[in-house]
Amino acid sequence: MKRTTVTSGLAISALVIAAAWGLLAAGLIPLWAAETAIVIAFPVLVIFLALRWRAPGGEEDIPFIGY
Amino acid sequence: MIEYLVFAAVFGLLLLGLHRKVIARVQMRPGPPVWQEILHALKFSFKSTWVPKTASSLLYVGVVLVGIGIWSAALFVVLAGESILILFAIYMLHKVVEHGFGLSSGSPYGKFGGVRSVISAASEIPLFVTIAAIYFFTDSLMLRDIIAYQAVHGPLLLIAPPAAIAMYLVILSKLPYGPFSIVESKELVSGYKTEHFGVWRAGISVIDGTKTFVLLFAFVAIFIGAVPFWAALVIMTILLVTLSFVCAVTPMLSPFDSVTVQGIITLLMVGYAAVLWWVVP
Repeated sequence: MKRTTVTSGLAISALVIAAAWGLLAAGLIPLWAAETAIVIAFPVLVIFLALRWRAPGGEEDIPFIGY
Repeated sequence: MIEYLVFAAVFGLLLLGLHRKVIARVQMRPGPPVWQEILHALKFSFKSTWVPKTASSLLYVGVVLVGIGIWSAALFVVLAGESILILFAIYMLHKVVEHGFGLSSGSPYGKFGGVRSVISAASEIPLFVTIAAIYFFTDSLMLRDIIAYQAVHGPLLLIAPPAAIAMYLVILSKLPYGPFSIVESKELVSGYKTEHFGVWRAGISVIDGTKTFVLLFAFVAIFIGAVPFWAALVIMTILLVTLSFVCAVTPMLSPFDSVTVQGIITLLMVGYAAVLWWVVP
């Protein structure tokens, strides 16, 4: 995956979480809406954050598929 | 709210580290440090990562996202005091996630782990009977109503101990190195997790941490009731240590024995629920 794609995904998920947090604090959206947004964005944030700082290199391989 | 998720994942990983430590000490080994599982998650997240050629890319990556998502949702369900039916439906969804992990990579080890996750669905059956037993007393499956019931009548742990034992066994079946941990047993390398490495394995660590926190927190809420948050954390830790003792002194069962034992537990629980149906007004 391209680095720009990873950075964009990370930024978008962080923005969604921050927006949900802010809007809930301001009383503009109900709790369930904020929770739904975070449930969708949090996994993306975790994976894209790790993809952003992972070590470079490596290419797809064939794992052990039996004898 | 994101802070709850991060706390749950980190504290859950700390509990899993404690789990390994207690097992090691009971078995007269020094064991890893308590924070080892947190270090594992960080270590995997820094590693080179790719998708194997034999994998179904969409399922291989998507199942990690789904796994984190469902346990994040489960945490919010527990914190909001919503229905335990939703919580246990998410618990069932985790079986699908395990199956997806195993089948997505193309490795036979993963596939066998995925197949075993379906076999070990037997561990979920006592859960349904637990739900039924709780309903006989509380007339509601909303967690907030169950907590309110316990505020008046005392902990369900004392009122319906067999139901508590059944859920205790359900949590035991979800912990690593336990008698029912057939989905990731060592003859399958790491079972359904075998071919998920690097960033994907870090994602699995987040799933495991959050899952452990949610299940133990839910046990405290359902069977002990409203306690201060720090007290809940202490009770969860004590609960985990008891589970670790069971794991340390019990060999892992073969898949068919595992299902047989869980089937017997289910039968006993069905008998208990039948008695409650007659006795409880």
